[in-house]
Amino acid sequence: MTIKMTDVWKTFGEGHTAVDALRDMNLVGTQGEFTVILGPSGSGKTTLLNLVGAIDDPTRGELLVNGHNLSALDVDQKVKFRRESVGFVFQFFNLIPTLTAAENVELVADLTLPNGAERAAVVLEQVGLGDRLHHFPGELSGGEQQRVALARALVKQPPILLCDEPTGELDFETGRMILSLLRRVSRETNQTVLLVTHNAAIGDMADRVLRLRSGVIVDDVSNSSPVDAEALTW
Amino acid sequence: MVKPLHHKLWRDVRRQRAQFIAITITIFLGVTIFGATYDSFRNLQASYAATATDFRFANLTTAGGDVATIATEAAATPGVESAEVRSVADIPFNVGGVKLLGRIIGVPAGEQPTVNQLSVLEGIYLAPGSGDVLVEKHMADHFDLSPGDLFDIRMSGRWQAVTVAGVVASPEYIWPARDRQELITSADNFGVIFAANAEVALATDGSPNEATIYFTGGGEDDALSNDLAAMARSHGAISTYTRAEQASNAGLTEDLKGFEEMAVFFPLMFLLAAAMAAYVMISRVVHSQRPQIGVLLANGFTRRQVRRHYLGYGLVPGLLGSIPGAVAGILLARLITEMYTGMLSIPVTLVQFYPATLIGAVLFGLVASLLAALAPALVASRVMPATAMRGETPSGGGRRSTVERLFPPIRRVPVGWRMAIRGVGRNPRRTVYTIVGVVLSLMLVLVSWGMIDTVQHLMDRQFVEIQQEDATVYFGEAAGAADVAALAEIDGVAAVEPALTLPVSLGSDGEHHYETALLVLADDTEMHRFLTTDGNWISLPRSGLVLGQATQNLLDVAVGSKVAMTIAGVGVVQEEIVAFVDEPLGTMAYMSRGRAESLTGDVLPATSALVTYEPGTDAAELRRTLTELPAVAAFEDANALYAVVQKYMVLFYGFVGIMLVFGAAMAFALIFNAMSVNIAERTREVATLLAVGTDRRSISRYIAAENLLVAALGIPIGLVVGYFAAKSALASFSSDLMALDLYIRPTTFALAAAAILLVALISQWPGLRAIRRINIPKIIKERSA
Repeated sequence: MTIKMTDVWKTFGEGHTAVDALRDMNLVGTQGEFTVILGPSGSGKTTLLNLVGAIDDPTRGELLVNGHNLSALDVDQKVKFRRESVGFVFQFFNLIPTLTAAENVELVADLTLPNGAERAAVVLEQVGLGDRLHHFPGELSGGEQQRVALARALVKQPPILLCDEPTGELDFETGRMILSLLRRVSRETNQTVLLVTHNAAIGDMADRVLRLRSGVIVDDVSNSSPVDAEALTW
Repeated sequence: MVKPLHHKLWRDVRRQRAQFIAITITIFLGVTIFGATYDSFRNLQASYAATATDFRFANLTTAGGDVATIATEAAATPGVESAEVRSVADIPFNVGGVKLLGRIIGVPAGEQPTVNQLSVLEGIYLAPGSGDVLVEKHMADHFDLSPGDLFDIRMSGRWQAVTVAGVVASPEYIWPARDRQELITSADNFGVIFAANAEVALATDGSPNEATIYFTGGGEDDALSNDLAAMARSHGAISTYTRAEQASNAGLTEDLKGFEEMAVFFPLMFLLAAAMAAYVMISRVVHSQRPQIGVLLANGFTRRQVRRHYLGYGLVPGLLGSIPGAVAGILLARLITEMYTGMLSIPVTLVQFYPATLIGAVLFGLVASLLAALAPALVASRVMPATAMRGETPSGGGRRSTVERLFPPIRRVPVGWRMAIRGVGRNPRRTVYTIVGVVLSLMLVLVSWGMIDTVQHLMDRQFVEIQQEDATVYFGEAAGAADVAALAEIDGVAAVEPALTLPVSLGSDGEHHYETALLVLADDTEMHRFLTTDGNWISLPRSGLVLGQATQNLLDVAVGSKVAMTIAGVGVVQEEIVAFVDEPLGTMAYMSRGRAESLTGDVLPATSALVTYEPGTDAAELRRTLTELPAVAAFEDANALYAVVQKYMVLFYGFVGIMLVFGAAMAFALIFNAMSVNIAERTREVATLLAVGTDRRSISRYIAAENLLVAALGIPIGLVVGYFAAKSALASFSSDLMALDLYIRPTTFALAAAAILLVALISQWPGLRAIRRINIPKIIKERSA
């Protein structure tokens, strides 16, 4: 699934308080590409992710995903797009505390295809949580919670995976383990991954690294020989 | 408080204005109802007391016996200011062709009596030797009588025209009741006039038959009343009653009692509801502001400052609700008092300002809201800054719901619905408070609605199930069997039975006495059915006495006990009680004609006849035909009395309707706040679900289902608690005048439950609409949302 941004602006607020989070951004992402987006706070990383995930709209410009202009979609069409095409992994996991690991994944699995419970179990097995299916989020470690969140994103088999600081709340070892898992699964399923992080070291495992500053892409580097996540250090 | 915290408080209030407004309105309603009902109660109490004093309302009235001696001895008793005799008789009136059994009361001509004085509203007081009469206001209003008008009364066996000299109000007939057994009368069947004592004496065999006694200063004195009553009985009095027992006064006192109960019960519920709504909301504020509290404490704010700041969240709705509420209540009390006293023509209306009510009302509102804020404020002041500043851990301990553990198949319902079911137990304290809110709302609804159902049911029982006659025909003089039989010959009359009503005094021992009426009915009467206190329908027993259930306690007797029955003109007869009956109106005594005749050794006459109509009979035409008969003095249509009750009920429905609206408002405010908090608390979950592609309708359904489940949990409890609250509220109104045993129709329970669920559903609407406005990117990025 290709992503194409043409002259995209995103402005928050109006008049004197207006802030341009993205400025005249042009970008093309290709199917199966693992892209890491780096930049300091306020550089527009998360905004970029939110636009691609159709949870926010550009102020100006055109954003095409697989040839579909996201700005032209109505509310229901955006819901359908998110449901079928996008998986989110958040920094703070955002699991439903009253649902077990399996149920958190099943809730999302049910949105697309039947047998959500079975598929949830399979995906949780893939992320190494086969023995934690019936644990509630409060009974899981941070790394385990993020793996559940990853499983929740993967269970729909979305062509695009959007990860916003997925290791921000995790210790080094756990973070590296999550990245490794992410890289493995995305390769296996040929998913397009956009991963936002402050951590420049993570760029070494990406096919492509974008650096943002003040809403502008200041660096766009392809990496022909990405390292394994296990080799990362920071 | 530090100034910036003031700004924070006001901005927080503005941000959550809908919830604050809901709490403020609930406090306002509670305080308003308190002020209105309590001041109305005090105003009415003061008005009645002033009327009693200004018009020298008798503290004790005795009937029968040597009334002259009774009055003389009473007048000589310390503590008695005045005692006098008078003649009272129930005689036929004919006003514009309408025959009724009215009451004529003797008063001194040319001067007011020293006891039971009259307020002349129109015309003049009786001039000596004029032969005119004064008409009591209710009768004058009904028949549109004014000074100078003429109508007929039947005295000494003949009809005579009398002229209206004036229209008066009497402390004895503010509520126009014939007696305690006939508290509700139709103006077509009962009216009161006052004439010179000498003229009224003609109707009472030439001598007075009542003594009226007024105590020094008009104050009540139970010991003095008891002594005087004993003295009167020793002089042959067959009936004595105190001011409190006097029919009109007793009816009004019951009504006052209603105001007093309302002045406590309803406001308490509203303030409790407001307090709970405030607690739920302020707890949520504190919970969501934990990081801010941590920052405040870390920067040197004292715990006391933090506590005071969060108490402010209770103080704001408390002040905004209670001060206008107290003012509105006092103004409303003035309006209610004036309307009420005007409607009943109470001669003295006292509308006063009671500063204590104003202060009390404001304090009630403030205390309720501050108490609600206290627990969350304490929690806020005890926050550990370091922990608080780290922010909330989003994933609290989840667990399977009890219902899933008890009924494992529920685990197979779609996961979205499982989420809704588990949400019920997610915040147990808030769930409990929401349930209590539902319970309180149902209590308010059922207490109000239960009153309507009960009164409707009891009226149906009295007028449809117990009383089978279509009309009662009163004879001018005691009638014989031939007079009764003559009625049966009239076209349209299906059946006739003779009836004899005698005033009696029942005594179970030397101490317990009860004045009532003995109704002697045909042996196999089909005009009156008897429902015993154990719920069985029986025929009138051939022998023995059947008594209204209130006498069980009043006389301390049981089935099988013997009572001494003093009958005027007959003497004292001993008779066994064979049953107690459950009759809503009055507390009568019943006996079969055969038994009464064997006890007295005479063939007894009839004072009235109970009549049923042929199907399709024109009741108005039959009334005209029957009342034209010379022997017939008055005609009482059972449906007319029923209609009177229904007319009074309209006011009652109005009042209860207002209570229902208030109850719905309270339920809305309470549930709205709980639901809003419930939705606010899971903003991040909602944002996450939206981000991953769940549509808003599904999310709304899950949340609505969870909230409705919580409301539904409260419903069975609310129905049970409401039932007992209604029972207790009605029990306090029950007396020998009216037996109010709670009856709530099954449909009322169902409708009340449905109404609460509807309110719960509607009250979520604003919160669910807010889901549409959720800023997904912002919320999902927040550490604590």
